[in-house]
Amino acid sequence: MLESNELARFEAAVLPHLDTAYTLARYLTRNDHDAEDVVQDACVRALKYFDTFRGEQGGGPSARAWLLTIVRNTAYTWHKSRRNDALTTEFDETAHSHAVAEADPDAKETLGRALERLAPEFREVIVLRELQGLSYKEISDVAGVPVGTVMSRLSRARAHLQRVLRKED
Amino acid sequence: MTSPHPSFEAQLDAYLDGELVGTDARELEAHLAQCAECARFRDGRLALRAAIAAQVPAFHTSDILRQRVRVALKASARAYRFDLQTWWRPLALAASFVVVGLGGWSVAWQRAAGAALADDVLSSHIRSLMPGHLTDVVSSDQHTVKPWFNGKLDYSPPVHDFATQGFPLVGGRLDYLEGRTVAVLTYGRRQHFINVFLWPRARGPSGTPNVRDRQGYHLRHWTTSDYAYWVVSDLGTAELGDFVLLVQRADSAGT
Repeated sequence: MLESNELARFEAAVLPHLDTAYTLARYLTRNDHDAEDVVQDACVRALKYFDTFRGEQGGGPSARAWLLTIVRNTAYTWHKSRRNDALTTEFDETAHSHAVAEADPDAKETLGRALERLAPEFREVIVLRELQGLSYKEISDVAGVPVGTVMSRLSRARAHLQRVLRKED
Repeated sequence: MTSPHPSFEAQLDAYLDGELVGTDARELEAHLAQCAECARFRDGRLALRAAIAAQVPAFHTSDILRQRVRVALKASARAYRFDLQTWWRPLALAASFVVVGLGGWSVAWQRAAGAALADDVLSSHIRSLMPGHLTDVVSSDQHTVKPWFNGKLDYSPPVHDFATQGFPLVGGRLDYLEGRTVAVLTYGRRQHFINVFLWPRARGPSGTPNVRDRQGYHLRHWTTSDYAYWVVSDLGTAELGDFVLLVQRADSAGT
């Protein structure tokens, strides 16, 4: 039953994390417009499932990790339904053997651009860790993979970005 | 970059991320103190961290998005509540006391008037997205929405549900445009809303949709032999085009 105090409770728990949600969506979709749609869609979904949210006291993820999980899933689903979009080819399961997409030879490689070309599962661990300061456990909840996988993805992603950084100098 | 001691590489990341504690952390610190190569590896990681902090921004939610999210949440909470209860009935009754402007609207569509009317339609659409303004009667059932207009309008607008085509009917409301009360039908598409304004017109030729885009919204206007239609939404133009076709087909089928 969704009463207005339930909505107020939801807004108090979830809306403080909107910037974090938008940042993740923005790096996963790589454009403002799609990111906005994903965040809005994710919030409505989150409201729908809010009665299943137990919170940290209930042994579940933090409100932030819980919202980010929904944002992430929404972004992936969203992109799968738009496969004709050339930007989304990296989301294709078959393309996952390559962690990094081809660089545009004419564009100057920057760290931001290098991050955008990382495959999404590597991109998201960098965003969640470096930009948003999530713990390994939280990242593991959001990405739905074991902590060990979070660690190895972070290491691989950082090694790649470091190579880009050295070329920049 | 790989470290000469691969077993330390992931450990080092965990250490730098503050995820390594106790003996593991102390062992690693001891190793770093005596291994120059691993210390260089650590310095590289710290440089990367600084570069990311300096060059890769976190984003902030715009006020517009914040507002959009709130509106969508309210609409969603309300739609859910309305599904469970039927306390919209007294609301509908109250709305039926709204004075209905009679008097036939027979002014032909004029280009100059069109721009002003487009502004009014757009304002009404934006207003409708504010909490509590979207619909007077909330129902996905065309057989509930259509009779709701009885007695409130001097015409009976055609009402169709396009749920199977992905545009479910959300409800209906009254609005005031061009000096008359008009019917507005609201449809949903994911989290977007589409408002369809329609009112009778003097018999005249049918027209193809007139396209206007402003402030990120798309407006489509056309006339049939019986009705003037305005459709407005922030939905993408391709999907909105599909929707317009559905409305036109349903109207010409006359069901």
